[in-house]
Amino acid sequence: MKKKLNRYTWICILLISIGIKAQETKPLIQSKLEGTVIDAVTKEPVIGASVNIKGTTHGVLTDFDGKFFFQTGQKFPYTLVVSFLGYKKAETVVTQNAVVIGLEQEQNQLSEVVVTALGISKEKKSLGYTTQSLKNKEIVDTKETNFLNNLTGKLAGVRITNSQGDMGSSRIIIRGETSIAGNNQPLFVVDGVPVDNSQLGSVGGATRDFKNAIADLNPQDIESLTVLKGPNAAALYGSRAAHGVVLITTKSGKNQKGLGISFSTGITISQVTTLPRFQNSFGQGSNGRFSFVDGKGGGINDGVDESWGPRLDGRLIPQFYSNGEAVPFVAHPDNVKDFFNTGVTYDNSVSVAKSDEKSDFRLGVNNQKQLGTVPNSEVNKTNVSINSNYQISKGIKVGVTGNYIVTDAPALPGGPSGNRAAGVMLQFIWFGRQVDINQLKNNRNVNWNNSYYSNPYWNAYYNTTSQQRNRIIGDIHLDAKLAEGLNFRFRTGIDYYNDRRKYKIKYGTNGTPFGSYAEDAYTVSEQNTEGIFTYTKKLSDDFTVDALGGFNVRTHSDANNYQKAPRLAVPDLYTITNSRDPLTASNSYSRLKVYSAYASAQFGYKNYAYLNLTARNDWSSTLPSSNRSYFYPSVNGSLILSEALNLKSNTLDFLKVRGGWSEVGNDADPYQLSTVYNFQTAFDGNPIQTSSQKKLNENLKPETTRSTEIGLEASFWKNRLHFDAAYYNTNSFDQILEIKTTASSGYNSQLINAGKINNRGIELQLDGNPIQTENFKWNVALNYSKNKSEVKILDYDRQIQNYTIGTSGGVDVLASVGQAYGALYGTAYLRDANGNIVVGANGLPKADPQKKVLGHYTPDWIGGITNTITYKNLELSFLVDASVGGELFSGTNRTGNYTGVLAQTLPGRGAENGGLNYYLAGTTKTLLPAGASAPGGATVYDDGMIFNGVYADGTPNTQVLSAQEYYKASYNISEAYIYSSTFVKLREVKLTYNVDKKLARKIGFDGASITAAGRNLFFIYKDAPNIDPETAFNTGNAQGLESLALPTTRNFSLNLNLKF
Amino acid sequence: MLKRIAYITLFALTLTSCSDDLDEINKNPNATETPLAPYLLTGTLKQGADLYWGSTNNFDSSLLFVQHWAKIQYTEPDRFDVSNASFTTLWNTGYATLITDLNTILNFPADQANSNYKGIALTLRSWTFLLLTDAYGSIPYKEAGQKVTPAYNTQKEVYTGLLEDLKQAQTLLNTANGTVTGDLVYKGDITKWKKLVNSLRLRIALRISDREPALAKQAAIDATSDAAGVLSSNSDTFKFTYTSSPQQNPASAWFETRDDYRISKTLVDKLNELADPRLPVYAQLPSDATVGKYVGGANGLSNSDANSQGFAKTSKPGTYFLTSSSPAVIASYSETLFNLAEAVARGYISGNAEQLYNDAITASFNQFGITNAATISTYLNQAVVKYDASNYAKSIGTQKWIAFYGQGLDAFTEWRRLDFPVLTAGPATVLDGKIPSRFFYPGTEQSLNGASYQAAIAVQGKDLLTTKLWFDVK
Repeated sequence: MKKKLNRYTWICILLISIGIKAQETKPLIQSKLEGTVIDAVTKEPVIGASVNIKGTTHGVLTDFDGKFFFQTGQKFPYTLVVSFLGYKKAETVVTQNAVVIGLEQEQNQLSEVVVTALGISKEKKSLGYTTQSLKNKEIVDTKETNFLNNLTGKLAGVRITNSQGDMGSSRIIIRGETSIAGNNQPLFVVDGVPVDNSQLGSVGGATRDFKNAIADLNPQDIESLTVLKGPNAAALYGSRAAHGVVLITTKSGKNQKGLGISFSTGITISQVTTLPRFQNSFGQGSNGRFSFVDGKGGGINDGVDESWGPRLDGRLIPQFYSNGEAVPFVAHPDNVKDFFNTGVTYDNSVSVAKSDEKSDFRLGVNNQKQLGTVPNSEVNKTNVSINSNYQISKGIKVGVTGNYIVTDAPALPGGPSGNRAAGVMLQFIWFGRQVDINQLKNNRNVNWNNSYYSNPYWNAYYNTTSQQRNRIIGDIHLDAKLAEGLNFRFRTGIDYYNDRRKYKIKYGTNGTPFGSYAEDAYTVSEQNTEGIFTYTKKLSDDFTVDALGGFNVRTHSDANNYQKAPRLAVPDLYTITNSRDPLTASNSYSRLKVYSAYASAQFGYKNYAYLNLTARNDWSSTLPSSNRSYFYPSVNGSLILSEALNLKSNTLDFLKVRGGWSEVGNDADPYQLSTVYNFQTAFDGNPIQTSSQKKLNENLKPETTRSTEIGLEASFWKNRLHFDAAYYNTNSFDQILEIKTTASSGYNSQLINAGKINNRGIELQLDGNPIQTENFKWNVALNYSKNKSEVKILDYDRQIQNYTIGTSGGVDVLASVGQAYGALYGTAYLRDANGNIVVGANGLPKADPQKKVLGHYTPDWIGGITNTITYKNLELSFLVDASVGGELFSGTNRTGNYTGVLAQTLPGRGAENGGLNYYLAGTTKTLLPAGASAPGGATVYDDGMIFNGVYADGTPNTQVLSAQEYYKASYNISEAYIYSSTFVKLREVKLTYNVDKKLARKIGFDGASITAAGRNLFFIYKDAPNIDPETAFNTGNAQGLESLALPTTRNFSLNLNLKF
Repeated sequence: MLKRIAYITLFALTLTSCSDDLDEINKNPNATETPLAPYLLTGTLKQGADLYWGSTNNFDSSLLFVQHWAKIQYTEPDRFDVSNASFTTLWNTGYATLITDLNTILNFPADQANSNYKGIALTLRSWTFLLLTDAYGSIPYKEAGQKVTPAYNTQKEVYTGLLEDLKQAQTLLNTANGTVTGDLVYKGDITKWKKLVNSLRLRIALRISDREPALAKQAAIDATSDAAGVLSSNSDTFKFTYTSSPQQNPASAWFETRDDYRISKTLVDKLNELADPRLPVYAQLPSDATVGKYVGGANGLSNSDANSQGFAKTSKPGTYFLTSSSPAVIASYSETLFNLAEAVARGYISGNAEQLYNDAITASFNQFGITNAATISTYLNQAVVKYDASNYAKSIGTQKWIAFYGQGLDAFTEWRRLDFPVLTAGPATVLDGKIPSRFFYPGTEQSLNGASYQAAIAVQGKDLLTTKLWFDVK
C-alpha cells in the first residue's frame, strides 16, 4: 500500500515547492478624470467595462451609468484602454476634459472567449473542438419546471427527450449513445462542482417517473450554460467525459456596482395535449352486451373493462351510479380529458447582488409552486443560492458558492404502465366510453369497474407518492497569483442530498384491499477536491504557451433504505409498524473513490495557429488493483486560415479549421468484481440465501472511448452569417456490459468487458441576420445533427449477438451486433414468400416464431430552427424542432386496440362503419352478402371484418371475424404497434418587451422586461397516433417503448423581470 | 500567513487522499460472497415450490391445458393464445436460481456441506431438470451452468443422465453422513430423501418407457429394489407447506386480490360422473347460493363467453387449495403407487397392478382428508372406476389426472404420455383444435443462445406449442 501512495506524493511535493509572492503598488494622487463608456450604436451606457491607463496597472470599472473616475499620478495626456466582453477593445488619448468613449460591438470570432473544461476560459478560436453555449435568457424565460426541456432544439448534437406528464424526467444525450449499457447522460458541472443527475427509483417496476436530479437547479441562477460535446472537448474531465459535459456558470455579483436587486415573477398554465383519440359509438361491455350490477361480473359483462359493448345510442341500461335503474347509455367524449386539471405553476425569484474592489456577492431566492394536471399532484421547490468572493490580499482571492434546495412534493402523478392502484393512464386506456367522469368525481367510493380498479380520483387523492428532497450544492475555493503568469486554484465542492419518498395505498383499494405503505430513502453524496496550477507565458512576439497541471480526488457514495408494510393493520394510518405482515425491507450502500492527475498545454503561434495537448491519469477504486491506473491523452489544434493566409475580405470575416483526437477512460460501477449471494425474506425462522443471478468479473479493465473530430467555422459579411460544421467519429470499446445471458448458463446476466460501439455524425450550426437595421433585426439560428451508431462487438469470442437494454410489452430494446444502437426486437407477423401475412383457418394472423428487428429508437437526424425578430424593444422568437427517423413501440395503441376505446377501432364496427354481415353456423362465423338473411332465421351480425392476409396455401383469407376479434388479433404481435417516431413540433413561441432603460429608470427601475411564452404548442407533423412520440420512458437507455405514458403538457407562461 | 494556509490545505489533502485503501472501498457491503448450505437449501425448496405451484407454470398454463382449471376472464392462456414470452419463468428460475444454487452446494468443499447436503442438492437439481425437459423438450443439461451459450441435449440424453445423477444422489445420502438443517420439507430426515430419490427414478423410468423399454425396465427395477424403498405413506409425500402472508401459498395469494379462475367443467363433469367424493375438496359451491351445486367453467372460451358463465354462478377451486398455508405437493405417495401399478402392468416389476391402483386412489383420498373406508370402497367398486387391465393407460391415466389436481406440470406431462383422459380443446382455442404438447422456449433464447437454440429445434422440430416431444409418442 505504501508503495502505491507514492504515486500521489509528487502532487504534494509539487505543491509545497511553490512559493507564494504578493506584490502591491500604490498610485500617487494627482490628476483627476471623469468619463463615460457607451455602446457606440445604441448609446446605452456600458456597465462594468474595464478602463485601464495604458502602461500602468491602474484600472477601474464603469458604474451603473457607464461612468468612471480616475485620480492618478499620471500626467495628461495619457491613453486609456477600454475593454468589455463582446466589444472591441478601444484606446483613447485623454486630457483633463470629461470623455465619452463609444465601444463597438465585437463583430468577429477572433476574441470570443468561452468556458472550457475545468472552467478555464479560453479564446474560442484557439480550440480544436466545438462548444456551444446558451445564455440565461434562452433558458429561463419559458419557465419549464425541468429546465433541461428548455434546451430542446437549441443545441446541435444534443438530443433532449422531454418528460412525460408535467413532473417527470428529461433525458439528455450528446452525440449519440456511446455506452452500450452504462449511463449516457453527460456530466453536469456547476461552477466547477460536479453535480449529480441521477434518476433514483426509476428502475425496476417503479410506478413514477421521478425527476432527474439536475432539475433541482433554478434556471434564474444560471448565467450561461456551455456544452462540451464529447471526449475531445471534455478530455480533462476524464472518466466521465465520454458522454460530454454540461458546464453551468451561475450568476455572481461581479460587475454589479452598488446594490442591485432583481425580481422576477411568473405564472405558467399547463394543459394536457395528445390524449388518445377515443371512439364514442360503443360503450363498455363485450360482444355488444352490458348491464351493471356489481362491476365485477355480477351483471352482464360488467366485470369487463373494455368497450366492445352496446351502441351508445341512449338505450336504457343500468350503470354504476344508477343503483340498478336503467338509464341512458350515452357517450362521454371528454371523460378522460375532463379528469385532468389545468396545471398552474407560480415562480418567484429575488436576488441581491453587490460588488466593490475587494468583494462581490449575490444572494438569490426562488420559490416555485406547481399544481399539476393530474388532480392533487403538487411540487413545491425553494432554492437559496449564494455566490461570494473576497480578495484577502492582492494575490489571493477566496470564495464560496452554495445552493440549498428543498423540494417538497406532497403528491406526484402516477407514472408509466404503473399498477392499478396508482397508475393514471392505465385505467383510462380501459375506460368505458359511456363513463361519466363527474359521477366518479362526486363519489370516490364508487367506480365504473370493480374487478380491477378503484375510482381514479380515489387513486389520485389517496394512493399518493410524496417526495421530499433536501440538497446542498456548494464549494469553497481559493485563487492565488503565485508569480507573473502563474496561478493556483484550489476547490473543494460537494453535492449532498437526502431524498425520501412515501408510497401510500389506501385500505379498500381494489387489488390492494388492505392498502400498503412504503418509505424509500436515498442519500447521495458527490465530493470533489481539486487543485490546479495554470501558467501563461508569451515566449516571443509570435509564440505563447498556456499550461495547466492539477489533481482531483472524487468520492461518490449513495445509500438506500426501503421499508414496506405490505398490508396495513388499520386504515388510514401510514406508519411502517401498522402492518399485519412482516415488513419487507432492503438497504444498500455504494461508495467509490477516484484519484486523478492531469495536465494540459496550449501553444499558440501568431494568434492564428494553436496546438492543445491534454493528459490524465485516473486511479479508481472500482477496478481491480492491477487495472486500476489508466492513462489517456488528447491532442487538438486550430488554424485561423483567414488570418494565416490573409483571406479576410469584405465577404469573409473569419475562417477556421480545427481537428483533434482524444481518448478517455472510464471505470466501472462499485462492487462489480466478485459474484455475490443475496438474502431473501427468511421463511419461518429459516434464513434464505440465493444467487444474485449475476456473474461478476474479477478482471475488469477500464472502458476506453476514442474520438476524432474535425470542424470548420466561418463567418461572412461582417458576421451577418456564421457557420460551423463538425464531423466526429467515436469508438467506445472494452465496454463493461452486464449482458443478459441465457439462464441455462447459470446466470441471467454476466459482466463482460468487451463491447464496442461506433458513433459518427455531423453537426451544423448556422446563424444569420438577414435583416439588421438600427430598429429591426431578424435572426435565424439553425442547428442540425445526424448521428449514426453501430454496435460492433459484444464479446471477444463473438458468442453474444445481443445485449438487452430493456423490455416492455414483449418488445426488447437491443444493442445488436451490426445494428444501430437501440434495436426494437419483437414478434412479427408470419409472412409468406410474397410478404403477405399468413392467417390460420380461424382467420387470425399468425405470429412468426422467429423474433425480428422491427425498428430502432434512435432518430436519423434532429434539428431546430429559431427565428428571432427584434423591433426596438420588442422581441419575438419561435422555435420549431424536428426529430426525424427512428421507431417506437406503442403500448397505448396496443392496449387501446384491445380494449376498443380508440377511434381507430371504429372501422368495421357495425354496418355504418363498413362492417360485413355474418351469422353463426354452429360456432363458425359465416359471411353473408349484404342484404341477405341467414338460414334458419339465425341472428345476423353486422360487425364482420376480414383480416388482410392469406392462408398457408397462399389463397386469400375469407374467414370473417367480429370487429372485437379483429382488433384483438394482433395484441401479441409487436410489429402491429411499431410506429415512426418522426415529429416536427412548434416547440416555443416567445414575445418579450424590454422596457426602455431610460423609461425604466424614470419609474424607478434599472431595467424591466415582460415575456409571454408558449411551449410544446402543437405538432406540425407526427406519425404515431394517440401518443406523443417524444415521451421519455425515464432517463435510462431503454427508450422507444411507450407504455401508457402521461400526456405531455402545453404550457403558457407570463413572466415579469424587474431590476432595482 | 499565506504559506501557512497553503501548508495546512496541502496537509489535509495529503491525509484524505492517502489514508484510504481503494481495495477496501470496493468491498461490497450489501451482500456476501460466501453463502451457507442450509440457507441455500431453504431457498431452493421455497423457490422451487413457488415455481411449481405459482401462476406462470401452473394455473396460468399447465393447469389450463389439462383442464383442471379454466379462466373466467382474460382467457388468452386458456385459448393457448400465448407467446414465447409466456414461459420464461420456469426456464429462468429453474436454471439461474435453482440449478445455480444447488450447483453451489454441490461445489462446496466437504467442510462447507456434508455429503447429505450434496445428495439432497443433486436430487433437487434432477427434479428441476426433469421439470424443464418435460415442459420444453431438449434443454441445456451437460453444459448448463458451464458455458455462456450452452448446447442443448436431447430428452433421451437428459432422462438417462438424470437416472445416473439420482443413482449418485442415492449413494451420497446416508444417515451416517451428517445432519442437514434448513430442510423445510423432510426436516433433515435422510431416510425420506432416499425414498424420494427412488420414487423420482421410477417416475423417470416410466417417462422413457414408450421409447426405451429396456432401459425403462432396468431403471424401474433399480428404483424399486433399492433398500431405501420408495415413498411409502402420505407422510412421505414431498410437499412444501406454506405459512401465512407473505409466505403464503401462491394460489391463495392470487385469489386474495384477483378472481380469474374456476375449476374446469371437464373435471367437474368427470368427478360427477364418478360420484367422486373429492369434488367438495376440489371445488367450492358458487357464491350465488341459488345455484346450489358445483359448476365448472368451460375451457377455451372467448372472453365474453367465459364471462357470461357468471362469476357468481361458477365454482372456484376448493378452499383446500386457497388457504394461505395450503401445501405445494411436488411428489406424492399416491403418484408413486400409480407408477408402481404401471410398472407392474408393463411387466417391469412383479406385483398386483389392480391392488396398487386401488391403493393409489386410496392414498389420494387420504391426501385430501377422505378416510372413511366405506366411502372409499364404494367408490373403488364402481364399474367406471375399476381397474381395466386391458387398458391400464386409461384407468391409470384418468385416475392419475384426477389425483394430480393442482400439480399442473406433472398432470400435463402424464396426460401427454398416457393420452388419458381424452380432452377436447375449447371452442375459441387457436391451435386448430389441438391442445399444447409443450411450452415455447423463452423468446430470449433466440437472441441470447441463438446457435444452440437453432441446433436444438433442427432436431426436435419447430418451436411450436404443438410439436410433440420425444417421450410423447402418441
